[in-house]
Amino acid sequence: MAAYIARRLVMLPLVAFGVTVLIFALLSFLDPAVRAGAFITNPNQLKAIDSIIRTYGLDRPIYEQYWTWLREVFRGNLGWSQTARMPVREAIAAFFPGTLELTFYAFVPIMLIGVWLGTAAAVHRDRLVDHLSRIFSISFRSLPSFVWGLLVLMVFYGRLSWFPPGRLSLDADLFVRSGQFHAYTGLVTLDALLNGQLWIFADALRHIAGPAITLTMVSIALLVRLMRSSMLEVLNQDYVRTARSKGLAEPVVIDKHARRNALIPVITLSSYTIVSLLGGVVITETIFNFPGIGRWGAFAAQQLDIPGVTGFTMFVAALTVLGNLAADVLYVFFDPRIRLR
Amino acid sequence: MSARHQLVALTLVVLLTALVGSAHGQAVRNPDTYVVVRFADPETLDPAYAYDTASSEIILWHIYETLIFFNGSSTGLFVPMLATEVPSAANGGISRDGRTYTFKIREGVRFHDGSPMTADDVKYSLMRFMFMDRDGGPSALLLEAILNVHGTRDERGTLNMALFQEADRAIQVRGNTVSITLKQPFAPFLSIMAAWSMVQSKRWAVQNGDWDGTAATLARFNNPKKPEDTVMFNKANGTGPFKLVQWDRQTRQTILERNEGYWRRPAAFRRVIIRVVEDFGARRLMLQNGDADFAEINRPEIPQVEGLPGVRVIDDLSALITDGIFMNMRIDTSGGNPDVGSGRLDGNGIPPDFFADLNVRRGIAQAFDYNTMIRDCWRGKASVGNGPIPKGLFGYNPQGKWYAYDPQRAAAAFREARGGQLWATGFRFGLLFNTGNATRQCMGQVLKAGVEALNPRFRVDVRSITFPQLLQLYRESKLPMWVIGWAADYPDADNFVTPFLHSSGTYSKAQGYNNPEMDRLIQQARFETDPAKRRATYARIQEIAYNDVTTLYSYRVTVRVMRTWVRGWYHNPAFFAPYIYPMSKSP
Amino acid sequence: MGLAAVTRGFHEHRPRLAGVAALGAGLAVLALAVPLTRERVAQAPFAAAQCLLLVVAVATFWVIPSDLTRRMRKNPLSVAGFGLIAAFVAVAILAPILAPPPATSRDPYIIPQEGFASVPTPPRPGHPFGTTEGQYDLYYGIVWGARTAFRVSILVIAIAVAIGLVVGGLSGYYGGRVDEAMMRLTDIFLAFPSLVLAVTVVAVLGRSLTNVMIAIAIVHWPIYARLLRGDILSVRGRDYVEAARAAGAGDVRIIVRHVIPNAIYPFLVLSSLDMGLIVITAAALSFLGLGPDVGYADWGTLINLSRTWILGRPGEPFAYWYVLAYPGAAIFLFVLGWNLLGDAFRDILDPRLRASG
Repeated sequence: MAAYIARRLVMLPLVAFGVTVLIFALLSFLDPAVRAGAFITNPNQLKAIDSIIRTYGLDRPIYEQYWTWLREVFRGNLGWSQTARMPVREAIAAFFPGTLELTFYAFVPIMLIGVWLGTAAAVHRDRLVDHLSRIFSISFRSLPSFVWGLLVLMVFYGRLSWFPPGRLSLDADLFVRSGQFHAYTGLVTLDALLNGQLWIFADALRHIAGPAITLTMVSIALLVRLMRSSMLEVLNQDYVRTARSKGLAEPVVIDKHARRNALIPVITLSSYTIVSLLGGVVITETIFNFPGIGRWGAFAAQQLDIPGVTGFTMFVAALTVLGNLAADVLYVFFDPRIRLR
Repeated sequence: MSARHQLVALTLVVLLTALVGSAHGQAVRNPDTYVVVRFADPETLDPAYAYDTASSEIILWHIYETLIFFNGSSTGLFVPMLATEVPSAANGGISRDGRTYTFKIREGVRFHDGSPMTADDVKYSLMRFMFMDRDGGPSALLLEAILNVHGTRDERGTLNMALFQEADRAIQVRGNTVSITLKQPFAPFLSIMAAWSMVQSKRWAVQNGDWDGTAATLARFNNPKKPEDTVMFNKANGTGPFKLVQWDRQTRQTILERNEGYWRRPAAFRRVIIRVVEDFGARRLMLQNGDADFAEINRPEIPQVEGLPGVRVIDDLSALITDGIFMNMRIDTSGGNPDVGSGRLDGNGIPPDFFADLNVRRGIAQAFDYNTMIRDCWRGKASVGNGPIPKGLFGYNPQGKWYAYDPQRAAAAFREARGGQLWATGFRFGLLFNTGNATRQCMGQVLKAGVEALNPRFRVDVRSITFPQLLQLYRESKLPMWVIGWAADYPDADNFVTPFLHSSGTYSKAQGYNNPEMDRLIQQARFETDPAKRRATYARIQEIAYNDVTTLYSYRVTVRVMRTWVRGWYHNPAFFAPYIYPMSKSP
Repeated sequence: MGLAAVTRGFHEHRPRLAGVAALGAGLAVLALAVPLTRERVAQAPFAAAQCLLLVVAVATFWVIPSDLTRRMRKNPLSVAGFGLIAAFVAVAILAPILAPPPATSRDPYIIPQEGFASVPTPPRPGHPFGTTEGQYDLYYGIVWGARTAFRVSILVIAIAVAIGLVVGGLSGYYGGRVDEAMMRLTDIFLAFPSLVLAVTVVAVLGRSLTNVMIAIAIVHWPIYARLLRGDILSVRGRDYVEAARAAGAGDVRIIVRHVIPNAIYPFLVLSSLDMGLIVITAAALSFLGLGPDVGYADWGTLINLSRTWILGRPGEPFAYWYVLAYPGAAIFLFVLGWNLLGDAFRDILDPRLRASG
C-alpha cells in the first residue's frame, strides 16, 4: 500500500510537468505577434508590437522559452499572470479557496440527492420512478450550464432577491476587510464561523447558493447514474438475496444491506467527483461573478496568458493526481478484498 | 432536543436570516457609497504605466489630479486644477514663440499622506511619466509633445541617456512655478496636460523605493517588465478627492474612501467601490436591484436596461471615438495570405495593390449603405464620418463632403477600375474584424451586401479573428480590409489625423498610405497655435481624406447607465468614466 | 454468416418486411403527390432518397426481432431516445428540403439574414421560429444546425477513437514499456483540466469549427484509449486469441478479428453518451467566445446568442423567449436522446445488470 502510494506520488511531478510541456508545445504554433496580444489592450498600443516581442523574448525558440520558464519555476517563481494582475502563485492562493468552498457546497447536495434518487431508481427499476429520476437528472445535463446559471440568477436574484452574485455583500465585505475579522483559512463561510460572525456566514452562504445550485443541477446526473447501477449490482448479490429470502422487510434490506454496500463505489468516486466539479466551475463562476480559480484559468487560456495557464494547469493536474490517488486509497479502505499493486 | 433537531433548528435560523436580510425596498441603497460595475480589471494603478480605460477610470482625477482640467463639458476649454491658472499668451503663461508653458502651482494642496505638494513633485511626476516608458505605455504622449521623440530607447532597446539631460533642462522649477519648454510649438499641449499630468509625491515615491529622479538610477527604472515592478502598481498617494484603500485583485474591486483633507470641499461619497462584473446578466440585475449605482453596458445590450424602474439611460453622449473600415493599398501576399485568395486579379482573389486603385476605393465608398449601417449596426447611435476627426472636436468640418450610398456610381467606379478589367473578372477578399464584436461584424456585413449586389463576381468574405491574431496580420500588413476603432488619448484633432492619415500613423502606415502633402499639412496643423489657421488646415486635410478615401469613417456616441438616485453627474467626451467628485445620491 | 443467412432471415420475416416496403413506398408517393413537397424534393432529390432509405432501414431494424430490440421495447425511455435520434437524423438529412438555402447562398451552413438589426424579432410567417439578434433565421439555423451537431459529434468521436485506438491498442497489445509510456501520456492528458485545455487549443489554433472539434477530440481521446486498453488486456490472455496466434495469425489480424469486436459494445455505450456531451462542450466553448462565427448554423452559437436576452425586457421577462426556447429545445432533445440511448445500450449490454432483467 505504502509502496503504491509512493509510486503514484512519484508520478505527480511527471504529470504536472508533462502538462506544461504540452502547453509550450502548443505555443510553438503561435506567431510572436499573437502572443504580444497578451500585453496589448487597445489599438493605441499597436505601434509597440515589435518592442514588446523584443522585451519579452517572444521570438526566441520555444524550447529556450520553456527553459527560461522552468528555471524560474525551480527558483519558486511561477511567473506573472497578466490576466489575474498578480503573480501566478498568489493567484492560485487567492482564487482556489473560493472554488473549494463552492465545490463543497455543491458536493453535499449532489451526494444527498444523488444517493437518494439513485437508490429510488434502482429499487423501482424500469418503473415510473426510475424513468422520472433519469429524465430529471439527464435534463439538467442536456442544456449548457450557462443557461441554467442565468435562469437561477434571474429567479433567485432578479425576482426573489435571495441569492445575489459575487462573494459577499457590501457591508459584509467591508467588515471582512476591517481589522475585526481574521481570515484563518480563506474559506469565507468557515472563517465566519471561526470568528463567531453568524451574519457573515449567512451572507456568504446567500452568495454561494446560486452557483452551488447551478453546479448541483448540472452535475447530479453522474451521481444518480452511478448510484443506480451500483445499487442494481448490489441488489443482485447473493447476500441481499439471502437477506430477502430470510424474510426481512424490504426497507430493511435496502437500507441496511444494499444501500450501505452500494455506497462504497460512490464514496470512493467522490474524490473524483470533486475533481471533476473543480473543472466544471468555469462557466458558473463567470455567470455569478464568483472569484474562483476556474474562471481565471479559462480567462488566462483565452487571453494566452502563458504563465497563468501553465501555473493553473500544473496545479489542477496535481490536484487530479491526488484526487485519484485518494479514490484508490478509499477503495482499499472500504473493500479490503482489493489490493493495490 | 436531540442533536439532530438542534441541527435542523440551526439550519432554519440561518436560512431565515438569509432571507430576511435580503428584503429591501427601492429606497436609496448605501447612500454614502458609490458602486460601479464594469467589465474589465485595471492593469495597474501607476499613472505612468497605465494606458487602459479601466485603470484611468480609477486613478484619473479621483486619486491623482492634473495641473489643469476640462471646463464642464468642453474639450477645448480648461480650468485650473493643481495649477492656479491656465497658461495662455494673455496671462504670460505661454511664451511668444509658443514653446514655453509656465504653470503656477497651487499652494496648500496636500497629498493623501498629509505632506504638501510642491513644484518639485510636479516636475518629478512629469519626468517619471516620460522615463518609465514601458513598451506599449503612454509615455510617448509626453515625449512626443515635449522632446519630439517617440521613445527613450533605440531600435535595439538601448536607453538614450542624453534625453534625460534634455528633459531635465526642458522642465524648470522656479519657486512655485514649473515651466516646460517644448522642442517645437505643439498645439495640443494643454489638452495633453489636462489628461496626462497626474501629480504624485516625490518624497513618498522615493521612500517607497520608486525612482529617485536621477539619471544614475534611470536604467533600472526604465521599461519595467511587469506592472508589479513599479511601486505605484497598487499603492497611491495623490492629491485627489479620494484615497486608495485597496485594490483587491481577488474579488476584483477597487475601494476608495473620501479624502477629508482635500483642497476643495470634500466629496459627498464616503466610499467608492469599482467592481468588475464580467457577465452582463449579473451586471444588469445588480443595477436593477440597486446594488450598483452605475453600470458599464455594451451598446448591443442597451435595450435590456432601457425602462428598468429606477434606472436612467442617457444616450447620444458624444464620444471621441472614430471607427473605420480600412483599405490596405500594399497587402503582403507572401507566404500564402488566405484573405487575398489567389493573390491575382482572376476573380478568386485580389493582387497586393488592389486598393491602390482610387476607383476601387471610391467604388467601395459608394457601395456602402451608410444609413443601414448606422440604423442596424449602431441602432441609430452613431453618425457617418467625413474624416478621422470626430464630431464635437475642434477641427471637425461639418461642411466637409463625404460619399453617399449610390450603387450606380459605385458600379461606374468599379467599371473604370484597373482599366475596365475588374468588372469582367470580379474579385474576392477578406474583411476582418475582431471576434465577438457584433457591431463590427454588422458593419462588415453591410459592406459585403452592398458590394456583392453590384456584380455576382464580386465577393467579400467577412471573417472574424481574435484580437491577438489581428495584431499579427496587422504587423505583417496582411489585412486587405479591416474594421477597428480609435479612442482619443487626449481631445485634439492631431490625435486622430496622425494615426489615420500620416504616413507614419498607426493605421495609415499599415495601409501603405503615403501622401507627402497630407504629411506636411498634419505637421503644419500640429505646430500651428492660431486657431483660425489651424481650423483651415484641418478643413484641407478633410478634403484630401475625402479625395483619397483610404478609410470609411463613423463616429460613435456613448451611453451611460445609472440609477436615478445618482445626482451631480455630467458628461465630458474626454472622461474615461464619470467624474465622481461632484456626484451624490438622493431619492 | 454469409449470403445464406441473409436470405434465410429475409424469408423468415417476409410479411414484416413487406409492411416496411409498403411504408416506404407510401411515403415516397405522398412526398411526390403533394405539390409543395414535390417542388422541394425536386430541388434536393438526393436528400429525399437518403431519408427514405433511413426510414426503411430503421423500420426494418425495428420489425425484425432481435435481442437488442426486444430489450429496448421493454424500456419506453430507450424507445424515446431511439425515436429522438432517428428524428434528428431525418431532419439533418432533409435539411435542404426543410429549409432550402436561398439561391444566392454559397455555403448552406451560413444562416440567411434579413436585415442586420440587433434586436431579435418574434416568430411570424416566413420566420416560424423568429430571428436572433443580427436577424438570423432561427428555424433555418436549427434545421441546418442538426447537421452541424452530427458532424461535430461524429467527427470528434472519430478522431478521439482513432487516437484512442492507436494509443490504447499499442498499449494493451504490446504491454510492458510501451504500455507504461502510453499510459503516462494518457495520465497527462487526463490530468489536464478539460475545458481549459480545449480553450487553450482553440486560442492557439484559431477560432473555427474545425479547431473546436480538434480541441474537444484532444480532451476526449484518453477515455477511449483506456477503455480499449482494458478490453485488449482482458481479451489478450484468452484461449481463442492464443489459438489464433499459434495458428500464425498476424497482430493486425488478431486485433481486427478478435479484439475490436469484443470492445465494440462498451465503445457504443461510451460514444452515444459522448455524442450529446460534445455538443454541450462545443456550446460552452461558444460561451467563452471560441465557437464558429455568429451566423453559422450551430446550436451552440445560437443558444449563446440568447445569452443577453434570457433576462427579457424590463417588465416582460419572457419577451424574447423564442431566442432561448428553440435552440435550447434542439440541444436539449438531442442530448437527451443520446443519453437515453446510451443508458439503454448500457443496460442492455452490461452483463452484470443482465441477470436481473
